[in-house]
Amino acid sequence: MSETAFEDRVQSLRMIRDSAAAVMPADGGLGRVRALRFTLPGIDPAVWGSMGSMGWIGLRLPEEAGGIGLGMAEACALQEELGRALVPEPLVPGALSARLLAAAGDTALLPSLLAGENLVLTAWQQSADSLEAPGDPEAPRLFIPMAAAAGTVLLPVREGNGLALYAVEGTRATILKTQDGGHVGSLAPSLAGARRVAADVSAAMDLALDEAALGTAAYLLGLMERCFEMTLDYLRARQQFGKALGSFQALQHRAADLKIQIVLTRASVEGAAADLNAGAAGDARRALVSRAKARAAEAALRVTREAVQLHGAIGYTDEYDIGLFLRKAMVTANAFGSAALHRARYMRCAPGGQSV
Amino acid sequence: MSADLPLDELAALDEEAFRLHVREWIEGNYPLPVRHPTRRLHWHENKPWYMALSRKGWLAPGWPRDHGGMGLDATRQLIMLEEMERFGAARVNDMGLVMLGPMLIRYASEEQKRRFLPRILSGEDIWCQGYSEPNAGSDLAALRLDAADHGDHWILNGQKTWITLANDANWIFVLARTNKTGKKQEGISFLLLPMDSPGVSVRPIVNLDLHDEFCEVFFDNVRVPKDMVVGDVDKGWGYAKALLGFERIAIGSPKLSSNGLARLKQLAVSVGKDQDPAFLDSYARFSMELADLKALYEAYVERLKRGEAIGPDVSILKIVQTELFQRITDAMLEIAGGHAGLLEPMEDGLHPAGSFLLARPSTIFGGSSEILRNILARNVLDLPA
Repeated sequence: MSETAFEDRVQSLRMIRDSAAAVMPADGGLGRVRALRFTLPGIDPAVWGSMGSMGWIGLRLPEEAGGIGLGMAEACALQEELGRALVPEPLVPGALSARLLAAAGDTALLPSLLAGENLVLTAWQQSADSLEAPGDPEAPRLFIPMAAAAGTVLLPVREGNGLALYAVEGTRATILKTQDGGHVGSLAPSLAGARRVAADVSAAMDLALDEAALGTAAYLLGLMERCFEMTLDYLRARQQFGKALGSFQALQHRAADLKIQIVLTRASVEGAAADLNAGAAGDARRALVSRAKARAAEAALRVTREAVQLHGAIGYTDEYDIGLFLRKAMVTANAFGSAALHRARYMRCAPGGQSV
Repeated sequence: MSADLPLDELAALDEEAFRLHVREWIEGNYPLPVRHPTRRLHWHENKPWYMALSRKGWLAPGWPRDHGGMGLDATRQLIMLEEMERFGAARVNDMGLVMLGPMLIRYASEEQKRRFLPRILSGEDIWCQGYSEPNAGSDLAALRLDAADHGDHWILNGQKTWITLANDANWIFVLARTNKTGKKQEGISFLLLPMDSPGVSVRPIVNLDLHDEFCEVFFDNVRVPKDMVVGDVDKGWGYAKALLGFERIAIGSPKLSSNGLARLKQLAVSVGKDQDPAFLDSYARFSMELADLKALYEAYVERLKRGEAIGPDVSILKIVQTELFQRITDAMLEIAGGHAGLLEPMEDGLHPAGSFLLARPSTIFGGSSEILRNILARNVLDLPA
């Protein structure tokens, strides 16, 4: 990459990171996140609107489709910032719906989704751990994140060799609360009153699910970074036996190990995003995404659970913020495929199971 | 055999063409019977390779051209290293090339440079490095090799240990204690002396691999003239520390783990475990970790290319690389069954026990994994002392 291209990229990533401040309190406080926990619909429509007006929902879509045409590196940088703040508004699932609607050439739902005026979610998941949308006409759709906030649900349905897309207004989802204070919905795939949006979105679905998995990995990266920073602050400040906790070598080495996990996750996520920007497709794309998501899921759970341990008893209180990161990681680590699923997919997709 | 390109043209090739050129030359000119050796070769074994590189002018990729090096940028130096490792070329006796040369070029007098650098490139002088002592390993600055001031010379008394291939060397560079007052880092000088100096004796140490790669060196009233100090007296610690950076990245190269993983796969096929689900799961983890290590390595190389300073966080590369390599060789041992305990390689050349032992010292030398974690905690994570 030339010097100028490099500077441009750095500038672009800095701008997108700075813009994320629009939905986050300057002091990094988690009061808003706490206030929304275990409420319905569980998100702030005004924040969803801000995400729309800043172009985030269509970040990856070309300008002619109403997007702002940025790359996966920018999408991941943004997700990382949102993860740092545990933002509950479902940008990854919303952007997935936007990609499907754009691929379908839809003009009825896409504009209000991109503007953040409507939340459109896609009911693609049929089993607990999956990154595929088989579209079985009869199969219940599970684990739709923040389903109670959706104005419209998209339903992929297998028709012959194609994956048709239907839009259903309103939600009739059964709601289950999740550990992070959010919820997931499930629904039976009824086409009564549904509008057929497209005859086949299978190619777009493949891409959209990969981008969602990578975006989720980036969200986890931001989450673990902030959780780790808070833990380091605590290790520096908390005194026991007359000295700072962070001066004990047993704890220093645990902290060093967590840093290593975070650095590897960053290398994996940023490397995958850069390669996707450079045109990685098909199995190469799937291998990159799976590697990043598997690493991020494992590392996020490790960092957040060790953060609780390193905090000691205060870490086990709901009042102290560190637990919010663990509970968010418990929900997000398996979203768009668990580490085990992605390891298996990596071995199927990577050339020779090994790309070095 | 590839064309004999002048250095200017060689350095001007784009990265891929440069890589292919280097690869072709190695394939056409490597003179030794052994590739991918599982132990360091002695000078009498690797000398033909050293001399082939010497004749080609490729011994010192990182040295400036006016000192007889290739003057390559960091990226191309790493490419040469990667191609050597890829081919499985034996490592030569390279202490003069890798450690001493850059030190002399940066800190030595013109006379010292003229005297020593050409003899390294011609193979006339083979150097060894005397840093560690029995009571100064990870805590190297505690070293005590005593250099007593006798006007125009020092008298050395004491011991060095873990000196790689000292039994091959005709010169040694040492860190010696020239001042016992003040902070322990501040009284250390960097001295040069011939191994045949009266009072120097060498005792090889047989390691776990049953190989005499390391030696102890004893100094009994050894006379070292004052003009054999590099840079200023008492400032040697700073010089030794300043030479990190590139070496730290090179030591984190994923190639060792990459070769290890390839051999693990061959071994699994050879012992009929390549479809075993437990093996496949651990193999998947290794593959992905290796790919992540490679991504991290490339990120550091990018930073080096752009001329960015490399901070102490680079030690993460060494930790990940060496610990991954060890776990890969652990897995070799686990799946090898009875072969795990064999002293000699298997019929197909695979040697799980040899690989396993080869991997052991990597987390000890060049900063043990534990010391590197201390450094990470203090200097990167800013945790208190």
